[in-house]
Amino acid sequence: MVDDEPQILRALTTNLRGAGYEVATAASVAEALAEAAMRPPDAVILDLLLPDGNGTDVCRELRRWSDVPVIVLSAVGDETEKVAALDAGADDYVTKPFGIDELLARLRASLRRATHATEPVVRLGDLVVDLEKRLVLVRGEPVQLTPHEYEMLALFARNVGKLLTHPTILREVWGPGYGDESHYLHVYISQLRRKIEAEPTRPRYLLTEPGAGYRLVEPS
Amino acid sequence: MASLLRRGTGGGDVVVGVLASIGAVALVSVVIGVLDQWAPVLGLGSLYVFAVLPIAIGWGLAYALPVAVASMLVFNWLFLPPTHTFHLREGENWLVLVLYLVVAVVTSELAARARRRARYAEQREREAALLAAVASSLLGGGAVTDELDGIATRAAAVLGVAHAWIALGDEVTTLPGAAGFPLRVDGRNVGTLSTPPPGPADGAVVRRFLPALASLLAVAIDREQLEREVLEAEALRRSDAIKTNVLRAVSHDLRSPLTAIAAAAGGLDSPGLQLDESDRSALVDTIVVETARLDRMVRDLLDLSRLEAGAADPLRELWSVDEIVGAALDQLQDEGGTVVDVPADLPPVMVDAGHAHRILVNLLENAHRHAGADGHVRIVATPRGETVVIRVSDDGPGIPEADVEAVFQPFWRSAAGGLTGLGLAIARGFAEENGGSLSADATEGGATLVLTLPATPPAASPP
Repeated sequence: MVDDEPQILRALTTNLRGAGYEVATAASVAEALAEAAMRPPDAVILDLLLPDGNGTDVCRELRRWSDVPVIVLSAVGDETEKVAALDAGADDYVTKPFGIDELLARLRASLRRATHATEPVVRLGDLVVDLEKRLVLVRGEPVQLTPHEYEMLALFARNVGKLLTHPTILREVWGPGYGDESHYLHVYISQLRRKIEAEPTRPRYLLTEPGAGYRLVEPS
Repeated sequence: MASLLRRGTGGGDVVVGVLASIGAVALVSVVIGVLDQWAPVLGLGSLYVFAVLPIAIGWGLAYALPVAVASMLVFNWLFLPPTHTFHLREGENWLVLVLYLVVAVVTSELAARARRRARYAEQREREAALLAAVASSLLGGGAVTDELDGIATRAAAVLGVAHAWIALGDEVTTLPGAAGFPLRVDGRNVGTLSTPPPGPADGAVVRRFLPALASLLAVAIDREQLEREVLEAEALRRSDAIKTNVLRAVSHDLRSPLTAIAAAAGGLDSPGLQLDESDRSALVDTIVVETARLDRMVRDLLDLSRLEAGAADPLRELWSVDEIVGAALDQLQDEGGTVVDVPADLPPVMVDAGHAHRILVNLLENAHRHAGADGHVRIVATPRGETVVIRVSDDGPGIPEADVEAVFQPFWRSAAGGLTGLGLAIARGFAEENGGSLSADATEGGATLVLTLPATPPAASPP
């Protein structure tokens, strides 16, 4: 748990311990990296604004040797920094001030993704993505997808619940030369939604995180 | 005579011109009368050219012709036999007189023409010199309004009037009882030039000179307008940038206590969490501490906006420095953590007690924050002239020389990551509002903030 505000650190630590987690704390980039190297954590909760740098630096450094899930604490006004942190490898974010239940839910989802390897068949409500047979079923009916649409959906299916940023999706699906063409992405996403969502204007599976990216979820 | 020759042809000049003409004829007549004893009188008649010529140069043909005719008549009357009549004994003398008249007229016309040319050239030169001077002063960066009086004075000289006034503006604004000339360029009225009535005698000068002056003024006014707009845009942009910074910082700073409160309250409210009694009291404590911090931030923001709006309205009275420092230490619940050196013989300070209290609390809080848990904070007061200087120093990391002004900006963030928040900005605002000052010293081994407060009541100022 990395934050330079002692009261936030104290409240979150108390709650996380109450929820059954073991918590180590750090108040700066240097402390965070040292702590993570000495006692590798199962997940990192990371404030973006730290006295000796920012959370993005921590993310980038961590990703050189660890796949540990990272949840970023961001504030309104930190959008660019938040997206930078996600691009640098953060898994998810919550916006300050957040409810403790929201943070715990994100933490559980991240830990689940980290510990369970993706099954070859991903089932979310009426949506089935068979990654082995490259088959997509909606309400039991097979759906015809273009290669790009399928690659995109497969990427989401391998990262259910995880926020994927625009550059990440473009790089993973279209290749390393892409990354800035988010307007292509909006078009492809809306085409994909028309094929898998019952109501494309009110998506239940493929959700938009404004200003950050998209997330495939289990419909509530 | 030289000064007479330089005079223009104004109303008062008519009398002078007539007197000069009479004088010239009389003078030459006296000279001929004297020379008459040695030379044939008929040949001396040509001397009257010396009367006609100066008059032609000084006053023009209108005076020179009567002088020529008068000279001829006077010569005939005084010197040609039979004298004291206009009759001539010898017929050929008529021919001489007529020839003399023709010579006088031609010479005087030539002289007058040369004189007109010279005067015209001089006038053009004066106009050009004025326009060049105006151009260099206006385009060299001088403010148009500052230069206006000088330009008007020089324009008066060029136009041949005693005074001139220039009023800028689209509307033609003529002073009452003055002659007004619009300064126009491309159908746009730049301003008005007024002169005492009836205005410049030479219409050609007005037609030639005023448009040139108008276009120069127009260029200068446009340039000033542009400069003003650029400056205004720059000021707006800067104040916008500051506001954006403050807003960002405020939203960030407000969110920290809010986040802690939300997390603590959420934890207390969550039945799924296993919290023991000490966990619960820690969460409650977080809520109490962070609520107080939020309250302080909101109060700081209000103070800052009041200071910026100039609505702080100090109620200044005499207070002892002991009392003000004591109250600040009291509020911070300081029990010996600060070394206090306030001599007993300090003069009282003339301040608003509430403002002085805020200044000292903010300075001491700031010092303790930077000194760290084991640091030392000193507060030392000394008299200096009609002020009392209070120095608050800590042994923290100190302030770099380059940042001694920047630390007073709201939410200034140092390269090392230190955040000043609003405390110092507010402290300085209140200090200045009370006739004092607040500055930072770049000293090795810690920061020193120097507060100066007025110690004697300000001299009563007239209402």
